Amino acid sequence: MAIPQRFLTRVGGGALGWLQAWGRLLAFGARALVQTFTPAAYNSATRSVVLKQIYFTAWQILPGFLLFAALLSYVIIQIVVTTARAYGLSDFALEVSVRVVVLETLPLLTVLFIALRSGAAINTEVALMNINNEIRALEDAGVDPMRFEFTPRVIGGAISVYALTLLSCILALVLAYVAVYGFQLWSVGDFSRVIAKIFTPTAFLTLTLKSLLFGLAVTLIPIRAGLEAPRMLFFAPIAVLRGMVRLFFVIMFIEVASLALVYM
Amino acid sequence: MERAPVRAPLIKNLELKVGLLLVATLLLAVGFLLYVLHARGVFQPTQELILVADDAEGVNIGMPLTFSGFPIGQVKRLDLTEDGRVRIHVAVPLKDARWLRTSSQFTLEKGFVGAARIRAFSAMLSDPPLPDGAERALITGDAAQDIPVIMARVKAILSNVEAMTASDSSINRTLAHIDTLTGRMTGDYGMLEGVLGGPDKAQKVVHALDRANTLLASLNGVSLRVDQTLAKADQRVFGSGGVMDQTDRSLAQVNAILGDVRESLKRADAILLAAQAAATNVEAITADVKGATTDLVILRTEVDDSITKVNHLINEINRKWPFRRDVELKLP
Repeated sequence: MAIPQRFLTRVGGGALGWLQAWGRLLAFGARALVQTFTPAAYNSATRSVVLKQIYFTAWQILPGFLLFAALLSYVIIQIVVTTARAYGLSDFALEVSVRVVVLETLPLLTVLFIALRSGAAINTEVALMNINNEIRALEDAGVDPMRFEFTPRVIGGAISVYALTLLSCILALVLAYVAVYGFQLWSVGDFSRVIAKIFTPTAFLTLTLKSLLFGLAVTLIPIRAGLEAPRMLFFAPIAVLRGMVRLFFVIMFIEVASLALVYM
Repeated sequence: MERAPVRAPLIKNLELKVGLLLVATLLLAVGFLLYVLHARGVFQPTQELILVADDAEGVNIGMPLTFSGFPIGQVKRLDLTEDGRVRIHVAVPLKDARWLRTSSQFTLEKGFVGAARIRAFSAMLSDPPLPDGAERALITGDAAQDIPVIMARVKAILSNVEAMTASDSSINRTLAHIDTLTGRMTGDYGMLEGVLGGPDKAQKVVHALDRANTLLASLNGVSLRVDQTLAKADQRVFGSGGVMDQTDRSLAQVNAILGDVRESLKRADAILLAAQAAATNVEAITADVKGATTDLVILRTEVDDSITKVNHLINEINRKWPFRRDVELKLP
């Protein structure tokens, strides 16, 4: 009787811990959001952190990222267009390629890239700050780490993800036009018709909401994972690992949910 | 350990760069939103057209209405009427509404592959334009829908073919008749026997042909004689000393006479010149009048003589010319 009981206890404890971790994450996210929309929380210090976060997350990688996004989009669009032509379905080539690239691939690609780069960095930094007792020191000195460290990063991260997604999507739309119609402006009418068909209010809102949620997830989850690390140095890699895996699942969940919203 | 507020600004133009990125993002976001709204026709005044169909399968919102292959409208809404028909609300931009006339026809076409399409046909572009909110019937032309009808027809055709190929069918009987016919054709008189039905009748035809041949031979003789007669006539008219020869000689005479006439006229001219000179001098005139009168009398006789000769010659030609119809050939 002892073994099943211990097993069940362990399963129950694990499930509870898992739920509590997600609960704490949600609570943390809610606090960050509330602070974001509290004008009194802003001063020159928070603004400086927001600016730096945007600078490191978006500006630094902008040329390389846009080049990569352009190349990838162009290749995917060309594949779709060529295949569609081969099957005599070139009427649908533009619509399919815009749906694949602009609505799905690029937002996901952007957030995955930023998660790998800035998400991992934030996770490590917060975990080390936590382990080195710097966060407690801030609190003792009367500085709210939530207000001066975390919320500005969440805001900066969300803005960065949104900006990169938007820029790469518009670049991809231009490339799609060129790939389908060539270098001429006579087909803008046709192009607009297809865009109008794709960007229904639902699709437009879903895309915007999705990239904002991606931006929130890509900073909130690593910060929370860093804060949860026990204050021992060897827990730092574990904290980063947990944060990254959780971030990956959240990103995938948002992606699938958005697909379900648009296509069902 | 208060880190956040004491960090030194290490990045050059941090605020400018981030500001640039944010402004660019904002502008692009707003611009794209406006573009999508424009593409969706939010800023375009439209008129409504309602198409009524029995079945709206394949029709969905956002589908274009095309005219000559160009999209001129979009399906905005679908609803069911009380009697189970479908009302398709199509928004047509005012600038494209001129292609739709009261006589326009609307069809819904569904192919095997690809989406259905609603097409408008306006045969008479001079008819009055379609009013806003007009209701028209949508004619459905579905390739797949026709398959059962086509299959039924194919079945009927196949049964006909079956009836044709049966052993007692009329085609088979015809073929048997053709067999007898070709059998007869192999007889002594070949095809004639086949066509006429027997060797005796064919023989009659062969006899008739023989007689026709004899007749043709005698006709040949007749035509030879006619040929000879014609040759003789030719000799008479065109040979040496024939009618044509004489005519040639007469023409030479006419030429000589005409030369004489020309000479006389020249002399008359000289006289007239002298008369003109004389007009300036009255005395000279009175002196010369007598001489001139004598000259004029001589000239007149000469001209008269020439004209009589010409007249005579022409009469002679007329007489000798055998193809003139009216004159001397009317012999009593």
